[in-house]
Amino acid sequence: MWSHFFKKVYHRFSIRSYFSIRTKLLFCFLIVTIIPLLSLGALNYYQSAIVINSQFGKYGENTVAQLDQQISSALNRMSQTTGTIYSYLLDPARGGLGDHVPTTYQEIMDKDDFEALLKSLKTDLTRGIYLITRSGYYYGENNLDVSKLNNIPAWQSITYSSKGPYWLGFYPMNHGMGDSDTEEPILGLAVRINNPAGTQHGSTILIEENAEVLLHMFHMFEEDTKAHLMITDSEGQPIYQSESPFTPNESDVVWNRTLTANGWKIEARLSSKAFYFSSSLIRYNTVLVAIVSCLLAFGLAYIFSSKFTARIRRLKDSMQKVSFGKLHTRTLVEGKDELGSLDTSFNRMVGGIQSLVEEVEQSERLKKEAELKAFHYQINPHLLFNTLNSIQWKARLQGAEDIRQMLYHLTMVLEGNLDISQELITLGRELRMIEHFLKIQEIRYGSAFSYEQTCGEELKPYLIPRMTLQPLFENIFFHGFEDGKGNISLSVQEEGEHLLLTLSDDGAGITEEKLRTLMLAKPESKPQGRGGLGVQNANQKFKLHFGQQYGLTVQSTKGEGTTIIIRWPKKEESPHGDNQDH
Amino acid sequence: MKKKISLIVLATTLMATMVTACGGNSESSSSTGAAGSGETKTLRFATWDTGDALKIEQDIAKKFEAAHPGTKVQVEAYADGFDQKLAAGFGATNPPDVMYMWDFPTYHQSLEPLDSYSSNDKELNIEDFYPGLFNYGKIDGKLYGIPAGFTTRVVYYNKKLFDEGKVPYPKDGWTWKQFQDIAAKLSDKSKKQYGFGVRAENDTYDLQSFVWSNGSSFISDDGKTIEGFMNSKETAESIQMLGDMVKNGSAVLTGGKGQQSGDDIFKAGKIAMWESGIWPLESFKTAGIDVGTVEIPAFPGKPVKGVLAESALSIAKDSKQKDLAWEFVKFYVSNDSIKMRVADLPVRVSVVNELKKDQDPLYKPYYTMLERSSNTPAFLLNPKWNEVNRQLSAAVEAVMHGENAQEVLNQAVKDSERYLK
Repeated sequence: MWSHFFKKVYHRFSIRSYFSIRTKLLFCFLIVTIIPLLSLGALNYYQSAIVINSQFGKYGENTVAQLDQQISSALNRMSQTTGTIYSYLLDPARGGLGDHVPTTYQEIMDKDDFEALLKSLKTDLTRGIYLITRSGYYYGENNLDVSKLNNIPAWQSITYSSKGPYWLGFYPMNHGMGDSDTEEPILGLAVRINNPAGTQHGSTILIEENAEVLLHMFHMFEEDTKAHLMITDSEGQPIYQSESPFTPNESDVVWNRTLTANGWKIEARLSSKAFYFSSSLIRYNTVLVAIVSCLLAFGLAYIFSSKFTARIRRLKDSMQKVSFGKLHTRTLVEGKDELGSLDTSFNRMVGGIQSLVEEVEQSERLKKEAELKAFHYQINPHLLFNTLNSIQWKARLQGAEDIRQMLYHLTMVLEGNLDISQELITLGRELRMIEHFLKIQEIRYGSAFSYEQTCGEELKPYLIPRMTLQPLFENIFFHGFEDGKGNISLSVQEEGEHLLLTLSDDGAGITEEKLRTLMLAKPESKPQGRGGLGVQNANQKFKLHFGQQYGLTVQSTKGEGTTIIIRWPKKEESPHGDNQDH
Repeated sequence: MKKKISLIVLATTLMATMVTACGGNSESSSSTGAAGSGETKTLRFATWDTGDALKIEQDIAKKFEAAHPGTKVQVEAYADGFDQKLAAGFGATNPPDVMYMWDFPTYHQSLEPLDSYSSNDKELNIEDFYPGLFNYGKIDGKLYGIPAGFTTRVVYYNKKLFDEGKVPYPKDGWTWKQFQDIAAKLSDKSKKQYGFGVRAENDTYDLQSFVWSNGSSFISDDGKTIEGFMNSKETAESIQMLGDMVKNGSAVLTGGKGQQSGDDIFKAGKIAMWESGIWPLESFKTAGIDVGTVEIPAFPGKPVKGVLAESALSIAKDSKQKDLAWEFVKFYVSNDSIKMRVADLPVRVSVVNELKKDQDPLYKPYYTMLERSSNTPAFLLNPKWNEVNRQLSAAVEAVMHGENAQEVLNQAVKDSERYLK
C-alpha cells in the first residue's frame, strides 16, 4: 500500500515537475525556508554549545573548589581544636590528668578544669570532644560509650604507633550512651598523643562534627552536575563516594582537587555523555525544531502553491471551455489580487464575445426573415400584376377605356412601389411614376388640379431614393386639397454638385405646431395621425442614403399652402448597377 | 502572495527564537530568595528544655501565635549550651526577648524588672501563684521573673521491687536509717539490682535538701561564711551517707562516664528507689513502672527540708518589644498553658485545686515538700556561689568515688575561701 502511494507520488512529481508551477513554487518555498532556518539553527547550536560547555566546565571547577573550601574549613577547624587540646595536654603542669577514673578531690578538680576546656571548644557543629585514655576512661561529656567506638569503621585501624591526626572520615553517630544514637552523619578526627613522658601518652583525642551540611553539599553537587564524587585519603582509601553506580571511563570529564589540610583528594567524574548532555539537548531541540518547521513550511508551501496554481488552472480550464464554444462559461473571482483581476477581465471578455455573437445571430436571423418576407412579397405582385393585366385586357375588350387607363396607371404605380430590388432609382423614373399617380388622381377627381413640372432632361439620370415623392404627393391630396382642387408645382434645379427639388402646393397648409412636431418627431416614435409619416420617411431615406446634412425642409403657412424643399447630392447610376450599398 | 511569505518568515523567526530560548534555559537557574516576613513580628523565646518538654513549649508558642495574628514565636532550644548562648546574646545586645531563667543573681542586670507589669496587669492575677515561688525571682526587692513551673524533689520507689522483696512501701515521715535498710535489703548484685541510685556528678543545689534536713547548710544565712557550714559535721554526714551506700553496695553510681542515667536504670527496674524532681514521672509511667512517691527521709529528730527547682520567665532588658514579650509571659503562665505543661508542677493554686493534684497520692508528696521548702538556696545568698560550687562539686564527686567527706569538704572550703574575700 505504501509502495503504491510512493509510486503515485513519484509518478506525480516526475511527470509534472518539469512544468508544474506548483512544484516550482513548492521547492522555492522550501529553499527559502530551510536555508536560513538550518543555518540559524546550526549557528545557534554551535555557539550555545560552546558557551554552555565552557560555562559548565567552569561551574564544575568552581563548585569543586567550593567543596574543597568547605571541607578544608571543617578539617582545619577540627585540626585546630585538637591542636589546642594537644598542646594543653603537653603542658607538664597538667600532669595531674590521669588515665584512669579520677576519684580524689584533686583529680576531679583537674578533670573538671579539663572538661570545661573541652566544653568551651564546642561549636554548634561539634557532636563530641573526648580524650580517650588507654584504660578506657575518657574525659568529655558523659554521653560516649567507649565500648561502641569500634562501630566507627576506621577506628580499629588506628594503631598505637600512629602519629599525628588520623581522619576517621564520615560515619553515622552510633557510639553514644543508651539510646542517644541519632545516626546523623558525622565527620571524625582522632589524634593519638605521643608524649612518652606524660601520663596521657597513647591517649586519643576524638573530635566529631556534624557532617550533614557537608554531605548535603555533596548531594547538591551530585544533583547539580550529575557528577560522581569521590574523596580519597592520601593513601587512596575512599572517604566518600557517591551512591550512584559509576564506571570510570577514559573519556570522563574530571575535576580534581587536593586538600591542603590533610591531603584528601576530591575527584568529581562526569561521563562525557553527561557533560555534553546540555549541548546535545540543544542539538536535539534544534534538529527537532528544524524538522518541524520544515514540515510546516512544506505544508504551508503546498497549501499555498496548490491554492495559487488551482486558480490558474481553473482559469485555464475556463479558457478551454470558451474555446470549445461554451460562451456562458464564467470563472470564479477570488480575491482582489492580480489573478482576481485577470479572472474579472476574462469574465468581462467572454461576456463581450457572447453578447456580440448573440447580436450577430440576431441580425442574421432578422435578415433571413426579411429575405423570406421579401421572397413572399415577390410572389404576390406577380399574381397582382397578372390579374391587373387580365382586368386591363378585359376592359379593352369590353371597350371600357377609362377603366383600362386607370388600371394601366395603377399597374405602373404599383410596379414602382413593389420593385424592391433597387433602393435608388433615377429621378426620371420617379417623376414618371408621379405622372402615373397623378393620372389616377385625375381620373378620380377629374381635372380639378393643375400640375406643373420643371425638370431639365440632363437632371433625370441622377438618382433619388425610391418612393420618396409619391408619399408627399399623397399627403397633398389627402391633407392639402379638398376634393383634389389645387395647384401643384415641382421643380428640380442644379446647384453645383447638389440637386434641389422644390414641391409646392396651395392647399390647406400645416399648423405651426404640427409642423414642429412633424420635423422633430423621431422616426422610431409612433406617428401622430396620418400625416407626417411620408415626410419623415422621405427625410430619413435621404439622410440614410446621402448623409445627415441632406434631407427635406418644410415651409408652410396655414391656409396658403406648403412648400417642401429637398436637397441631395448628384449621384449617377453606376454602370454595374450596384447601388445597393448604404 | 506577499502576505504568505511574510507569514512563513515570521514562523521561521519564531522557531529560531524558540531554539535560542531552549539554549538559554540551562544557563540561568538562579533561585529566588525567600520573601521577607512582611509585617509579622517575631518574638524570640529561649528555653533549656529538650524532648517532650520542648515539644510542649512549642505547642504553647503555636497557640500564642494563633491568638495573636501577625506574631511569630521563634522557640530557641539552647539545651546544654543555655548559659553560654544566653551570655553571648546579652553580650551582643541581641538576646532572646523572653527566656527561661533560674540564675537571677548572675543575669538580673540584663533582665527587665517586672514589678510594674505584674502589679498593673490584673489579668496576671498574681494572688493565684504559690507565694513562695516569687522569692526565687527577686533580687534586691525587684522581681525579674514570673514563675512558670516548679518542682520539689521526692523519692520514687518501684512498687514491684518492694513487693518482690516483701518490703512495705515507705511512708512520709520515714528516716534515712529506714531508707538505708530498705536499700540494702532490695540490693542484689547478682541481678545487678540496687536499692538506690547515686549520681556520680551531683548538682550540689539538689543536695541542699539533705543538708538542710540534717540542720546544716552550705553557707551561713548572711551568705558570708562557709567555714563551719560547708564542712560542718552534719553536712559531711549527709553526703558521706550517699558515698557509703555506693561503697557498701546498696546503691549504684549513675550518670557518670559509661554509666546509664538514674532515670534509665529506674525505668529498667534495676533500682528500687530514686530521688528526683517531677520531670521523669511521665516517662516512668510510660515505661510501665508501677511507681510510688514519698517525701524525702528525715534525720532523727530533725525536720525534713525540701529544695525547690523553679523555672521562671524573664524578659530581656534589651528586648525591642517588651509589651509583646509580657503578653507572651502572661500567656505562658495562664491556666490553659499551665495545664499543658505536665513536665513540671502548676504554679497556680487554682489549677492545682481544679485538677485536685494535691489530693492525688502520687502528687501529694511534691506539695508536702513544697511546704518544707522554706530555706534559701546558697546561690541566692552569695553572688560568688558559682565559683565556690566548683570546689564543692568536686568534693562531692570525690565522696561518691570513696573519699572521706569531711576531709574533702575541708579541702574544698580551704580552696574556696579566697573567692569569698
